[in-house]
Amino acid sequence: MSIRTETPTRPRIGSDAAPILSFDNVCKRYGSLDALAGVTFQVNRGEVVCLIGPSGSGKSTLLRCANALESIDSGRVLMDGRDVHDRRTDARNLRRRMGMVFQNFELFPHLTVLRNVAVGPTTVLRMPAAGAAARAMELLRKVGLGDKAAQYPAALSGGQQQRVAIARALAMQPDVMLFDEPTSALDPETIGEVLSVMKRLADEGMTMVVVTHEMDFAKRVGNWIVVFDHGKVVEQGPPRQVFEEPTIQRTRDFLSHLGWHGESLAASDLLVPAPSGSYEHRTSD
Amino acid sequence: MDIDVSPLILNWQFILTGLGFTISLSLLSIILGAAIGIFGGVARTYGGPLLDTIVGVYVDLVRSIPVLAILVWTYFAFPLVIGESLTPFTGGVLALGVHLGAYITETIRAGLTSVRPGQMRAALALGMSRTQAIRTIILPQAVIRMLPPLGSLIVIAVKDSAIASVIAVPELLRQSQVLAGKTFRPFEIYTSAMLIYFLICYPTARMIDRIYRNLAPLGAS
Ligand SMILES: Nc1ncnc2c1ncn2[C@@H]1O[C@H](COP(=O)(O)OP(=O)(O)OP(=O)(O)O)[C@@H](O)[C@H]1O
Ligand SMILES: [Mg+2]
Repeated sequence: MSIRTETPTRPRIGSDAAPILSFDNVCKRYGSLDALAGVTFQVNRGEVVCLIGPSGSGKSTLLRCANALESIDSGRVLMDGRDVHDRRTDARNLRRRMGMVFQNFELFPHLTVLRNVAVGPTTVLRMPAAGAAARAMELLRKVGLGDKAAQYPAALSGGQQQRVAIARALAMQPDVMLFDEPTSALDPETIGEVLSVMKRLADEGMTMVVVTHEMDFAKRVGNWIVVFDHGKVVEQGPPRQVFEEPTIQRTRDFLSHLGWHGESLAASDLLVPAPSGSYEHRTSD
Repeated sequence: MDIDVSPLILNWQFILTGLGFTISLSLLSIILGAAIGIFGGVARTYGGPLLDTIVGVYVDLVRSIPVLAILVWTYFAFPLVIGESLTPFTGGVLALGVHLGAYITETIRAGLTSVRPGQMRAALALGMSRTQAIRTIILPQAVIRMLPPLGSLIVIAVKDSAIASVIAVPELLRQSQVLAGKTFRPFEIYTSAMLIYFLICYPTARMIDRIYRNLAPLGAS
């Protein structure tokens, strides 16, 4: 089964001609269920690609296939031209170049915030503890949590935990960041602090693949929107096109289900500009 | 009934030797049991179906045989298999450790499977190998979560060390038996032995409880 969506041309953000991450007709089955039924799209260097679509449409599965946490049944995922699922590919080496952020944070509860961020560099990169701690501290300051370094994750709010999780992924100095609904488990008040960290990251040129229901973020920060349904890409294009004039009825239904009716939103206070040089989010508390 | 504690006072060194053996026998069998249990629990959970089956047979065997039978077999029959005799102490450590290991295996396994799969995913996503992920991320959480049952097993192990008296390991109960026979003062001597066991086991149990209460939040992912 090979349903290929026509990929509209798009402006290149980075200078590299080849996409950093590309999905070519990727299929993944769970038993008789086609979680991914021929997914094709590309992520260029420096782009923020937002994946949207209803629950169960295969977005999380796709991210897990991207860094080989899940195997695929057919098709190809290429990272920098390397076949992620090829048996000769060193999956661990690839994974550390793709940072991953999860819906429910998945911080390591038995480690302090600092150790959560430093544990990747010390165990995977065999970095000396002092160097890893210094790098971790720097990243924690960047996400505005320098003062929480000695705490355990349980003592942090959801938004703070998610910012630690972002710092933990950044500590591996990845080329691509994969976000799986990073704000879905958060209280409305703390969503903004995570989104603003992500926006700063995008502004710095990080390549990002973001599964999200935050249409406002997708529209403002995303360079490319990919709409999923039933394991397929039903539509993709630049945000203006997908949000303002979706070509597919399914996209329209999904967007209106989320309360989006095609009109541009007024400036939202969701994405508070952060002080320069820091991802720190200005909060009132 | 008149009570005469002088046999205890006169033979305190004899009792102390017994206490020393009880402690060293318990500690070594706990260390052996923990090593077996951690290996067994990890093997059952992550080692694939073959290892799971092999370790499962060990667990089922041990859990279906009285610890006394295992002890006697290890001391009297096992030497015939390996062609070398064992000291009572070594036999005791082996038998009690292998026995305890089966229960720790199942406890560790339960702990490992209770850590939600996202933790393994997060560790792998950082680029860790499965071994690194298990060692630094999953196993510590599993052990913290399982501290209450592991604590009970440790206390049971100390109490079970008394069984080694049947193969003449000169531990607390054995020494008490010898002394009671010599002095004809079984009441004083056996009562003291019970008290000593209590004074080891009860604080140990409380201490583990306390450690658990301090660590519990760190095991809850
Ligand atoms: N490990 C698994 N075993 C069996 N089925 C699975 C597994 N993981 C996902 N699925 C199924 O695959 C389909 C796609 O799931 P996936 O989690 O990728 O969807 P999603 O788009 O991320 O949805 P959501 O918005 O709810 O997170 C769903 O029907 C889901 O039930
Ligand atoms: Mg999902």
